[in-house]
Amino acid sequence: MLAAREPVPDDDILLAANRLTLGYGGAPVLREVDLRVRAGEFWFLLGPNGAGKTTLLRAVLGALPPAAGQLALHPSLDDRTALGFVPQRCTPNPILPTTVREFVGLGLVGLTLDGRERQARLAWALAHAGLAGLERRSYWALSGGQRQRALVARALVRRPRLLILDEPTNHLDFLIEEAILALLAALQRDERTAILFVTHALHVAERYATHVALFHGGTVESGPAAELLRPECLARAYGITGGAGLQPRPRDSRAQPHRETE
Amino acid sequence: MIRDFIASWPLFHDAYVAGWLIAVLLAVVGVLVVARNQIFLGAAVAQTSTLGIALGMWLGSALGVEALAGDHAHGALSLIGVGFAVLAALLTARGGSGAQEAATGWLFLAAASGATLVLAASPHGLEEIKHLVSSSIIGATANDVWLFAALALISIGGVVLTRDRLLLFAIDPSMAVAVGMRASVWNAAVAAWLGLVVGLATRATGLLYTFGCLVLPPLAAASLCRESAALFWVAPLLAVASGLAGFVVANHLDLPPAQMAVALQALVVGAAWGVGRRAR
Repeated sequence: MLAAREPVPDDDILLAANRLTLGYGGAPVLREVDLRVRAGEFWFLLGPNGAGKTTLLRAVLGALPPAAGQLALHPSLDDRTALGFVPQRCTPNPILPTTVREFVGLGLVGLTLDGRERQARLAWALAHAGLAGLERRSYWALSGGQRQRALVARALVRRPRLLILDEPTNHLDFLIEEAILALLAALQRDERTAILFVTHALHVAERYATHVALFHGGTVESGPAAELLRPECLARAYGITGGAGLQPRPRDSRAQPHRETE
Repeated sequence: MIRDFIASWPLFHDAYVAGWLIAVLLAVVGVLVVARNQIFLGAAVAQTSTLGIALGMWLGSALGVEALAGDHAHGALSLIGVGFAVLAALLTARGGSGAQEAATGWLFLAAASGATLVLAASPHGLEEIKHLVSSSIIGATANDVWLFAALALISIGGVVLTRDRLLLFAIDPSMAVAVGMRASVWNAAVAAWLGLVVGLATRATGLLYTFGCLVLPPLAAASLCRESAALFWVAPLLAVASGLAGFVVANHLDLPPAQMAVALQALVVGAAWGVGRRAR
């Protein structure tokens, strides 16, 4: 549960952190974080390992109460029905039988829907995740990339206004990573879904991010991607003098991030 | 064979019905144990229950309250075993998989050795422990029938009301938290229920039958079903079918029914693995 909830005045703001401090056992991991996430923004959470990215996600998901400050969700997200989450990994017991339909359908937990609406949502999520036609297939017969898509579909089935992804493309090859990111970019553009995406892939952030949060030294620098995805900012975040090796790849003309909020 | 079984009904009907109800109850709860990869935890909880029962017997003898201790596991003091089982399940249900595995192993070994040592000096102590570990359903009473019928109904009702939540909690706790489920509360509730039913079943029938019914029917069902939701009705069905066949065959061959039922469950698991492998 979020320890502090206050009405979010701007209806477009889905998540607002105000001087938020988070930590474990009295030891702060993040201090005085300020963040505003609006509908239709594609946020990339970047920073070295242990900088607090997952800690912030845990707080947003309600698994970690704030030590100080406030973390507020839009009232429409209070009951979690419009919040989707894709974990870094999901490793069910391999002896457990499950089909793609059942696995993705578990994303509907907590939603009160009739049978027709459930089916419609499942079909929509599977189609968007590129898994249409595989509903009856065993989850265990899927490739690694398809399983990752199933995780995304399980989050999408909630028709989230805020979608949180914790390094979802780790260990995936380039083509699958591209497919998942293209799907997310389409959601951001067409559904105005706000996305929080944790990754270490700077080149991906450079292509898709509308906004960036740089985690370093217990603090978070946040703002439009154009302002923060610069070598000097990245060097500061990763603690490297000069930052020559931290330049994102040149922009790919195929990528079409939607940056209406910039 | 069937006629022999029917002839034995007036004498053993409480034991038979209690055995089937325990099988249904444990198979339903066992789906979660198997789904969460906690099979060894099930064994450790049942073993801890035997330590509690042994302590109850020892305490009864030491205090001179044989009426409470009884001459077998049904003495009132053996309810300590239920308490121990609940405590064991709660203590080992949390933590990472490595830490949990270590705690479960420690618990199993401490309880197994402790139960024997506690009753080693008692005139019939080791015999009691052997009896408890090897299992028998014959001692089950009419009260056990009512108790386990109620527990089975509560378990089935709980599954009907919260099936998808239980599955999500078992398959992906992080997602469960994300959709608003309180993981610590679910963890404690599932562990407490597991400890309670395992403790009571161990007290009534012993370790082997309890552990067998807890894990074998869900394992067989996992090989036969295509979706996890079906495990909640296929596993109890297999448990009852094995129990029915086991008790009939055991009666005919004059063998112990609990062991026969568990042996049949093990056979069903082997066959199900073969069928499942062929289907894949």
